[in-house]
Amino acid sequence: MSETTISLRDAPSKGRIYGYFVLASFSFLLVSTTAVAQEYRSGWDVVESGTNNDLFSVEATEDEIWAFGEDGVVLGSQDGGLSWSHANVITSSDLSMSDSGFGSILAASTDGTVIIKLESTSQWADISFEIGEESISGVSLIRNNSVIAVGSNGSIWKYESETWSDYSVSGVDLLDVSFLDSERGIAVGEEGAILFSDDGGVTWDYRDSPSEASSSRIIDIEFYSDIRAYAITDNGEVLKSSREISTQVGFLWNMQYFESEGGSSNLGANLTSIEVATTNKFLLSGSGGYLSMSKDGGNIVTKQLIPVDNLTSFNDIVMIDGFNGITVGSGGTILITERSGEDEQVGFEVRDFSEFGGFVDYSKGMLIDGLFATINIVLFGIFLGFFLGITLSMMKTSPLTLKEIAEKRSLNLVRLFGALAFIVGFMFLNYLVPIVKGLGLDGWEYIYAPIGIINPGGITGDLQFENFAYLIFGVSLILLGSLFISANGEYKKSERELFGRTVLWNPWGVRPLNFIATIYTDIFRNTPLIVQFLFIHFGIQIGALIGDPAAELLEGSTGFIATFLRDDILSNRACVSAIFALGLNSGAYQCETIRGAISAIPSGQMEAGRSIGLNYMQTMRLIIMPQAIRICIPPMGNEMVNLVLNSSLAMVIGYSELTRKAKLINAVTFQVFWSYGMVLISYFIVTWTLALILRYLENKTRIPGLGISGGA
Amino acid sequence: MKNVLSIVDMHKTYPGGVHAVRGVSFDVMEGESVAIIGSSGSGKSTVLRCINRLIEPTKGEVRLRGEMINTPNADINDVRSRIGMVFQSFELFAHLRVIDNITLGLRHVRKMSRKHAEREALQVLEKVDMLDRKDAFPGNLSGGQKQRVAIARALAMKPEVMLFDEPTSALDPELIGSVLKTIRGLADEGMTMVVVTHEISFAREVADRVIYMDRGVVAESGPSSIIDSPQTERLKKFLSSISEED
Repeated sequence: MSETTISLRDAPSKGRIYGYFVLASFSFLLVSTTAVAQEYRSGWDVVESGTNNDLFSVEATEDEIWAFGEDGVVLGSQDGGLSWSHANVITSSDLSMSDSGFGSILAASTDGTVIIKLESTSQWADISFEIGEESISGVSLIRNNSVIAVGSNGSIWKYESETWSDYSVSGVDLLDVSFLDSERGIAVGEEGAILFSDDGGVTWDYRDSPSEASSSRIIDIEFYSDIRAYAITDNGEVLKSSREISTQVGFLWNMQYFESEGGSSNLGANLTSIEVATTNKFLLSGSGGYLSMSKDGGNIVTKQLIPVDNLTSFNDIVMIDGFNGITVGSGGTILITERSGEDEQVGFEVRDFSEFGGFVDYSKGMLIDGLFATINIVLFGIFLGFFLGITLSMMKTSPLTLKEIAEKRSLNLVRLFGALAFIVGFMFLNYLVPIVKGLGLDGWEYIYAPIGIINPGGITGDLQFENFAYLIFGVSLILLGSLFISANGEYKKSERELFGRTVLWNPWGVRPLNFIATIYTDIFRNTPLIVQFLFIHFGIQIGALIGDPAAELLEGSTGFIATFLRDDILSNRACVSAIFALGLNSGAYQCETIRGAISAIPSGQMEAGRSIGLNYMQTMRLIIMPQAIRICIPPMGNEMVNLVLNSSLAMVIGYSELTRKAKLINAVTFQVFWSYGMVLISYFIVTWTLALILRYLENKTRIPGLGISGGA
Repeated sequence: MKNVLSIVDMHKTYPGGVHAVRGVSFDVMEGESVAIIGSSGSGKSTVLRCINRLIEPTKGEVRLRGEMINTPNADINDVRSRIGMVFQSFELFAHLRVIDNITLGLRHVRKMSRKHAEREALQVLEKVDMLDRKDAFPGNLSGGQKQRVAIARALAMKPEVMLFDEPTSALDPELIGSVLKTIRGLADEGMTMVVVTHEISFAREVADRVIYMDRGVVAESGPSSIIDSPQTERLKKFLSSISEED
């Protein structure tokens, strides 16, 4: 386009002016379609509340919805929020907070006014108490008639058996409290304070909040489930705590980063409350007409359109189920939605590009980020895979047999070892018997037992990898033990009758290292890579298992490599998972490639090495491997290109590599052909460069007389 | 004369049941060169490989200077470094230059420094007349040169006995001479050696003793003169079949 403009200035002509006209009308067309595309309809509808008082809080039970507000306004609805009626006013204080659960509804005011409505009654009861100088900021039910309230200067009160008692802690102003059940609760407050109680609010312990939120006001907390809790700060940050391996929710807190905000943790809104709809979906309300919903597990937060003016302050949201919800706000505003408030269009603001150049300008930054992310996992994946491949191929070609191990030892020692192995193996399996019984499996369902014994408790239980080790070692040690006990000094194979056929019986010829490596490669080559990604990231959570401890080791290091590893690799869990999934998978394939190259080396080379007195490992390292690696450079190149291409699967675990970036760009621009086409070219550049490097390496390392390599 | 190598009642049955060696016994004295001749499949290469346990004999004893070496507890790597072996197909390490082929064992088995090892290597290379090609890769050498490097590689370890497994069989006729000359030179220097060979004339000239193997057993043995006056029918037949080929 700019070129056209320049040539116009140089030599205007009729044809060019005509072209300019067409271009202008085309741009106009694009502009007008953009205007149409941006016309969304709000997913919220206005409901008549019958009051102009500000509404502060809303609660839903199975068949009733209650809203609370200024001057003691209490509104009730029995038809899912469509029509509202005033309840008998029993207080004139501003009811600014509420809670529901255990069949009861609770509302409270900062001045100590607390009203409760039990399931069995239709009347509100006043259970207000004297709080002196302090004020209440948050309340939570812990049983049907038992309440925890928190407030200024670390105040914590507990209402139980119709009396209030004081369990205050020293410290900052507390702003909200939320209990999961009668025992476990979390309180939050000023200066990033997070407190945890697991005895029904009697004792409280401080927890570490993320350093980014250490000076923030945490104003709302929702202890959603055994595996997830969310909290927000009033300046637009969301904190998340998940159950991790053996650590319960509430111990480890992370900031939620938003891809929709360019990776920032700040939404740029004054938040008032968070409502968790499902484990990975939450809605946020705020002042200035702010309502939003998370997508993609919280990575993207989309601001929603509202059907009222932008000065409305939304104070609370309640979701009746995953889609139906109600929000209340200033001036008696009540909105209702059947689709989580989502706009009719996809929640992104559509970026429309009239020309490819503009699109490229917009997306190249993201693609380059994605490219570097891809290169990160690919490089580490290759290293891990190559290391594994070499190790496994050596194990697979190892000639060490049980016979060789046994015949160097005296017969009694062999038998003694056999007995010990048998006993230990039996103990391992015996330990597993009650665990397997507890799984409640039947018949063929036992093929899933290995998964069951690693994690018998499900998502709230621990991963017990030792159980899997007991199973493997138990079975192997019993087999090994039986064989060694039966040793008679003759480690020969024999022929045996089995079902009328002669079978070669050669247990002493078993090569243990080969056996282990074969199990490994069989597992990784007979399962889909995408499932390996999902299992390693979500199932094993290798990031929490290995990445986090490793990042902690590097804490405080200032070296370039150390900080890179810590900040860009180890602390990014999806990255760690992707590296392991790619590396472990590639290792299994590289093992076979290298093994093929090793078997291509004439056996005379091994004999020659051994005949000058080198031991097996020295011969492998000094003679066989250097030649095998040269032979397998072309197939290894194949394997590495595969690894790069397979890295695109990392998008399923939410790692922002190239393909995922394309998907995001596509979601914002709707330019399907452009976005995926550009990704295609980016991948081609990476793999082609890699192929060129390998070709160069192949030529560099070529040695005369080794293999047929197309001319030396 | 001291007994360097003695083999007592050696048997070898390969997996699959081929009984390749059926009770072979012989001794090799200090400085003696023994040639083992026989038709293909007579078990002579198997005997040689059983000596340094590249193949495990099924039964029987191998003693190096009286020390039993075919027990599971013998330090086989040490034993092998004391027995030099030269292969029919050279088996040079293709990725290493000539000099590195020779220093490999010295550095990693004898634990010499690189400098020291290279000094030793140059000496043996001179002995086999390959000094000028010390920086070549094996792929760029002729067959005869390769075999001489292989001999140098074995010699560098200063072995107590050298085993040659048909050292000239893979060579073109015009290249054989230089290798045989090298081996003859070693014999003249008093190196103890066992040579498995098809070169009857070489056996006659160089060997102090000739062992004729047939179908896994020693059919006839004696001084090299037995080639000219064979005592058994089998050896007579073998020698005449060879002279027909020539």
